Formats: sequence, C-alpha cells, structure tokens
Amino acid sequence: MGRMPTPVEMGSVTDRAFTIVWSDGHRSTYTWRNLRAGCPCARCKGEWDSRPAALRAEDFPAALRAMRLERVGAYALRFGWTDGHDTGIYPFPLLRFELCECGDAAHAASPSGHPAPPR
Amino acid sequence: MFGRRNGVTREQVLTALADVLDPELHKSIVELDMVKDVAVTDGHVRVEALLTIGACPLRETIVDSIRAKVAAIPGVAAVDVSLGVMSAEQRQALVGRLRGDGTPQRPSSFLGPDSPTRVIAVASGKGGVGKSTVTVNLAAALAGGGLRVGVLDADVYGFSIPRMLGVHGRPTMIDQMLIPLEVQGIRVISIGFLLPSEEEAVIWRGPLLHKTLTTFINEVHWGPDLDYLLIDLPPGTGDVSITIAQTLPQSHMLLVTTPQAAASQVARRAARMAEKVNMELVGVIENMSYFVPAPDQPPVYVFGRGGGATLAKELEVPLLGEIPLDQSVREGGDEGRPVVMSHPDSAAAAAFRESAERLRAAVPVPPRVLSRD
Repeated sequence: MGRMPTPVEMGSVTDRAFTIVWSDGHRSTYTWRNLRAGCPCARCKGEWDSRPAALRAEDFPAALRAMRLERVGAYALRFGWTDGHDTGIYPFPLLRFELCECGDAAHAASPSGHPAPPR
Repeated sequence: MFGRRNGVTREQVLTALADVLDPELHKSIVELDMVKDVAVTDGHVRVEALLTIGACPLRETIVDSIRAKVAAIPGVAAVDVSLGVMSAEQRQALVGRLRGDGTPQRPSSFLGPDSPTRVIAVASGKGGVGKSTVTVNLAAALAGGGLRVGVLDADVYGFSIPRMLGVHGRPTMIDQMLIPLEVQGIRVISIGFLLPSEEEAVIWRGPLLHKTLTTFINEVHWGPDLDYLLIDLPPGTGDVSITIAQTLPQSHMLLVTTPQAAASQVARRAARMAEKVNMELVGVIENMSYFVPAPDQPPVYVFGRGGGATLAKELEVPLLGEIPLDQSVREGGDEGRPVVMSHPDSAAAAAFRESAERLRAAVPVPPRVLSRD
C-alpha cells in the first residue's frame, strides 16, 4: 500500500495563490477561487438525494480568499473562506492529483488510486 | 546527636522533595509548586504540601513519599507533613505548567508533530473479535516491559476497558484537565469513569461522541513521558474512528481479526479506512486462533484457519501474533486482570507478550532525550 503524498511545505492564506510542496517533490499551485469551487463537502458536491450543479471558479468573487487553514488528522486540509463556508475537508490526494493547477500531466491520475476519504 | 550538629538545611529538604512525584501528574511536587513551606528546627522537619484538590484520592501516597524522602536525609529526626489545598489561581498556574511553559499549548504530547508518544488505534471490522481484550493485554505486556502506556477507551457505546483492567473510579479533574486513572502502571481513560454508574447506557448521537473523544485526546493529561497510547476503537468505521483520524496528526492502526473469513473480510474495510485517512497500518493480530483441548491433544481450529495470515499478507503488513482461545483469557477479562498478568505462564499470555514485542519493533519509541527538569 503506497502512502499518500503529504505537504512538506505550504503557503499561507495571505498569499496571492496557494502553494503546496509535496512529499513526492511535486509543487502545486492553486488559485483561491478554483480551490473554493473544488470544495468536496456534501453541500457543494451533493449527497445521494441532492445533486447541485457543479461549482465553477466564476461563481465566486475574484476577491475570494481563504481566511483559515488547518490540517485535519494526517490526511487533509480544511479551509475557512471569506464567504463563510468552512465544511470542506480536502484530502491530500484530491489536492495533489485533482485540484493542482500546475498544468503538468504528471499529476493527472493518482498512481495508487486513492479513493475519497470520509468527509 | 550528630544530626543536630550537622544541621539539616531547607535546601537539602527541597532537593529530597524534588524526587517526590505527584502520583497522578507524574511530576515532581517541587516543580509543580506543591510545596508551600519547609521549616527545619533541630532535625525536625515540617513540610506543608498543597494538594490540587481537597478530596485528592492519593493524599496518603503523597504524604508517605514526602515522609520517606525527607526521613532519609542524614540528620533528620522527625518529619511532620501538613496539607493544604491549592487556590483557584494556584491550580490555574499548575495547569499552565502541565501544558508546558505557560503557553496555551494543548496538554497531549502526542498532538505535536515531533511527539515521542506512539499512538496505536486498535481496530477491527466486526465486533466481538476481542479488540478490547487484545488492547488491555498488549498494554499490560508493554507496561510489564517497563514502558509507559496509556489506554484510551474509544468504544463509547460498548466500553469494557474499566472492567477488563479492573479499574473503577472517577478521574481527578483539575480545572479543565482530566487526570487518567492508573492501574498496574497503565493510564486509563474511559467514558465508564464519567457516567453515574457503569451500568448506564450511552445513548448519544455523533456530535456528543465527537466531543467526548476530542476531550479524551485534548483535555486528558496523558503525561509527556507516555511511550504508547493504545486506543480501543469501536468496531467498524463510524463516527468515532473518523474523529480519531481527524484529530490525531499521526497515528498507527493495528487490526484485530479472528481466523474466520467473514471477520477478516470486514477487517479489510477498516484497513481501507486507514489508507484513506493516512494512518499507518502496522500489523494484524489474529485472536481466537485455535483451541488446545488438552496438553497432549492437537489444536482445534474452531473458527477456521489462516484468516489473520491471509489478511496480513494481502495488506502487506506483518502478522504480529496468533492468540489461542483460552478460558483464562476470558476469565482474566472478567476479573479485571488481563491474562498477561493473571496467568503469565499461559500460552495466551506468551502470545500476547510476543505480539507486544513485535508491535514495539514495528513502531519503536524514539530514544528519550531527558529534559533538563
């Protein structure tokens, strides 16, 4: 079982764009709006009986920022946003392999096929 | 007399008292500012110690060890110990010190990224495979090997640790901090200690469970010297397991199963969870592996054979042990003395000790750098 990549270095919520340097050496960059639109929580992504329309970065004001950032256990990050939303728990594989905006194909697929952790 | 001429000094007494540890907090009473006053008159030493709370259940222990340490100073003829109780401000200061340097740091050492404490969550898929039995026996075996061990009973609905370790009572609470009960060198916290009676049922929904668990992790003074914290999880992959996974920045998971295919198949799901929440799976223990009806008879594989080994192989982790089915294991649990302690010569006890050794090797505690104090 391969261990999931974990952040060894992270930018701060005051940065213009968010960055993570991963334990596998990859450097990811994120725009705040895209991160917010990628929120995996049940309210944003839906549940069995509710399937809201997919969020897009354009749905959020350009000035949207994270106010708070904390680690969840050994596997995820949680952001608190300027729009008050804070229920999204972003597992590392989601950040590393799906939301990363570096434009590099290397991260397109999760090599160990990490499935979605509990939220 | 010699002693009178030599003159016992206050400093000598304080040095001796530095070795007296508070039995609950595991720190020197001098360091904790629990020594209010020391007076020496002609070899007669009077010590006034402050208890954290008036009803401190271990006051006799403190008084006895103060007496013994001071009496051992050459020249001391008599020791008189009087007790006082800390004021609210003094208690607050004590809690500050326990949490470390007065900073608003959390008390649990294992919440820090560089914590030397190894946290091992004992999990299974199915219930009834003997998770709690394995937990208490591993704890007893590790403690027997000179390690400092804590057991956090996270099986809030089905708690059984108090009975299995024979530990009952109410933990001392110093302001917002719970002091775990201690038995045979094992520090224990369980919801059973906080209910009006152990017969009480816990009928709670998730949020209350979550609160209880985070309290057990954040607000319990496990002590900075703890080597292993074993967490007895409830079966399955529910609320409690998720809370543990989300609260601890690093932890390991130990899977318990029986040889039965149905049990090991469900255990696989717990392993799947460990993977998703980035907990390191350290190994599998197969419980109720076989039964030996009589010393000269071959073992009977009551629940089938090889479930644990197959599971371990599949998950690419070591099989840490195969524990035989033995009546003394069950009896030990019911009597409050784990079989490792009650029947140390039994095959089951040997298997538990061996498993504990392997666990220790798989998750070694780092060498301790002794702090200045």
